Amino acid sequence: MPVPNEPRVERTDVLVIGTGGAGLRAAIEAHDRGAQVTLVAKGLARATHTRMSGGRYNVVSGIVADDHTDIFFQDTVAAGARINNQLLVRILVDEALERAYDLEAYGLAWERKTATDYLVVASGGGTRLRTIGSFDEGIGVSEVMLHQVFRRQVRLREHHMLVDLIGDDQNRIVGALVLDLAHGQWIIYDCGAVVIATGGASQLYATNSGPVFNTGDGIAVAYRAGAELVDIEFMQFIPIAFAYPPTAKGYTLTEPQHYGMRHYEVHGEPGKLFNSLGERFILKHDSVQREGGTRDILARAIMLEILEGRGSAEGGVWLEPDPKVFESFLRERPIYVKRILENYGEQEARFLSRFQVMPSALYTTGGIRIDSTGHTTLPGLFAAGEAAGGVHGANRLGGSSMPDIQVFGRRAGMAAAQEALDCVDRPAPDIRLGLERAAKLDSALHRSEGLRPPALKRKIQDLMWQNVGLVRNGQGLADALRTFAEFREQILPHLSISSQTRVMNREWMEAIELENLLALGECMASAALTRTETRGSHYRQDFPEGNDGDWVANLYVCRDDGRPKVKKRPVVSLTQSHQSHESLKGARNG
Amino acid sequence: MDEFQARATIFRFDPTSGQPSRYEQFELPVTKNMRVLDVLRSIYETQAGDLAFQYACRVGRCGTCAVIVNGRPVLACQERVKPKMKIEPLSPFPVLRDLIIDYSEAEKRYSDLNLAPIAAGGSTAPAQDARGRATFAPDHAREVGLMGSCLACMVCVSACPAVKERAFDGPAYMLQLRRLSEHPADHGARLEQALDGGLLECFSCGACAEVCPADLSPADAIRDFRREMLLGQKRHKHSNGEDS
Repeated sequence: MPVPNEPRVERTDVLVIGTGGAGLRAAIEAHDRGAQVTLVAKGLARATHTRMSGGRYNVVSGIVADDHTDIFFQDTVAAGARINNQLLVRILVDEALERAYDLEAYGLAWERKTATDYLVVASGGGTRLRTIGSFDEGIGVSEVMLHQVFRRQVRLREHHMLVDLIGDDQNRIVGALVLDLAHGQWIIYDCGAVVIATGGASQLYATNSGPVFNTGDGIAVAYRAGAELVDIEFMQFIPIAFAYPPTAKGYTLTEPQHYGMRHYEVHGEPGKLFNSLGERFILKHDSVQREGGTRDILARAIMLEILEGRGSAEGGVWLEPDPKVFESFLRERPIYVKRILENYGEQEARFLSRFQVMPSALYTTGGIRIDSTGHTTLPGLFAAGEAAGGVHGANRLGGSSMPDIQVFGRRAGMAAAQEALDCVDRPAPDIRLGLERAAKLDSALHRSEGLRPPALKRKIQDLMWQNVGLVRNGQGLADALRTFAEFREQILPHLSISSQTRVMNREWMEAIELENLLALGECMASAALTRTETRGSHYRQDFPEGNDGDWVANLYVCRDDGRPKVKKRPVVSLTQSHQSHESLKGARNG
Repeated sequence: MDEFQARATIFRFDPTSGQPSRYEQFELPVTKNMRVLDVLRSIYETQAGDLAFQYACRVGRCGTCAVIVNGRPVLACQERVKPKMKIEPLSPFPVLRDLIIDYSEAEKRYSDLNLAPIAAGGSTAPAQDARGRATFAPDHAREVGLMGSCLACMVCVSACPAVKERAFDGPAYMLQLRRLSEHPADHGARLEQALDGGLLECFSCGACAEVCPADLSPADAIRDFRREMLLGQKRHKHSNGEDS
């Protein structure tokens, strides 16, 4: 049976890319606002980062008497090292509760302390207990939203990979080139608006905590189309993850505080970390918060121990859990206990023995620049969730990605629907650009000599871990940029693919992903080289101190002559954006 | 670490090739704590770049790497490596290529069951007046949450003998219908839906609970539905914090 490879054109009002929390929420909202929505995912709809997450959700819900959205705001900006987009933070803290109620209306069973009060716990970096969750974690969050999408009969297409955006002559986004990986079929979407909700790029690092699909496709595609990125130098590492076996390596063990009394009491002792000399090394870095501090400080402290030779043979350090919290930990996070049992053993799973942990790439803190409606710098293009940047600044509070994807997924879906419905009589996109690109990628199927995609992926991941990871310096970043340029010019165009089949051809998919990974690696290294200070998750050995005088500012990256161009701008503060926020609020309530 | 040589015999099939399906053998060094997914990734990276298999999370959460290993449906990321492994696509589902099955029929079934809460009177619109925190006893919320942990991986459907022989949708769907049936905000006719889906065809063999990678028990959900049918009772439903 021959497979058709002539592109097919499909028309839709709003095209949402990605079926994690942000994409699902955007699709639900755009549909409810009257738009005809098509939702696509590179893999199966459930193969997402949201599904992998603990589903912990920061929200001021009125249960903790001394908490307030202003304190949530301050905690977020403090964790973000004061470079968050404050307008976005204000919206996050103000709307998180309404969106938590949405999830409850969708059928999520938030855990309760009493029949009417949510169970509220602590999360890394927060000064109050403000994190709620459901027993089914990210699985439950994604599942209840997926069933809302089913109910609305939103057109859902799995195994559909975003390859490029198509702009008109004013560079308004009017379409997208998508590859149906299950059939090898090219599709050109003719649409009024596109929402990018493709998640982050944790696959830039071999030791990562995300799904294999998170190669930053949407961020890189938006960048190639001319959109601006923000804060892309910041990659959040989870401080503690499994160190072995290979499949589980890099998978999150959450935060040390959950392994101690700190989880329940603001001044309690967190789970303790030790190096190979038996030293509780965190005391050198943060004697106040100890292992209960923000993720950036913890991850860096662990990485320095490992780099300086005080780690384990497997590349980790040791976590000592408090056996006193075992029973409650088991109740709250049985899945983790099961995983510790399977990967490490019974003593470890019962908190009776220390076990190995190592940092792992978790969350792409920066991303596509958005405004309060999720609009990017390109007309017709919206973004939300991990693919977008600005909300979390230089580092993210544990438990804040869940409200982020709900709040901004909804906003992007709302604005995209409006945009699409305002231009229903738009001209069709010029499909020639899409056709050219499709033909070029088709030709890759016929190259049998050269490096194979998984080999190049490893090279990129190794370089990122060594030079653009938790510990960075000017020399290493410059070297990385040179090597990336070499990869882009000399290896990428000559990748070989073992089979010419168009159906579920993993190497073909990876070859397309690699272009995105390389572009983001270059953006990240360029911004990291420019930021000559240490802030949040960005640590420069050659500039180990923060420099507030010069660097309470954001770096924006856009494509210029095929290379990343970095621009520095002042932080978006609440005072300057107060007016637009108020008018948005009026619009929302009206 | 305990190293040994493993032999994997893998099902290969490309519907576009015009060739019938076949099995291909691979030998590779493994360590004891590796998983079947490590074997597939290693074969892909070093021996067969054209191998079609799928996975995403590596840790038993996304439920997308289900395969059959030595006759038993499992998640490739959870199943430990064996000296000899016959690895086949999950049955009884259509194969897209090699180990990748087409989940679209399963997805359509979920969609048709309307597994979001249905308000009193049958309205499926999100109830605006019921917004905010509903009354939901802690243990009850936990129980509904536990059933919500289903991976939708189809491992139980593959293992179910009733699915093979009778008009039975499968354990995974019964579990999700039960989740809604126990949900205080749902007023859908879930028992009737379960009966339409073949509730009475289940053999009560417990195979579903035995293979479930999330340690859930669709068998218990089926039993609870049957009890409800006979006694006309739900376990919680009116969740006021006192009945659980």
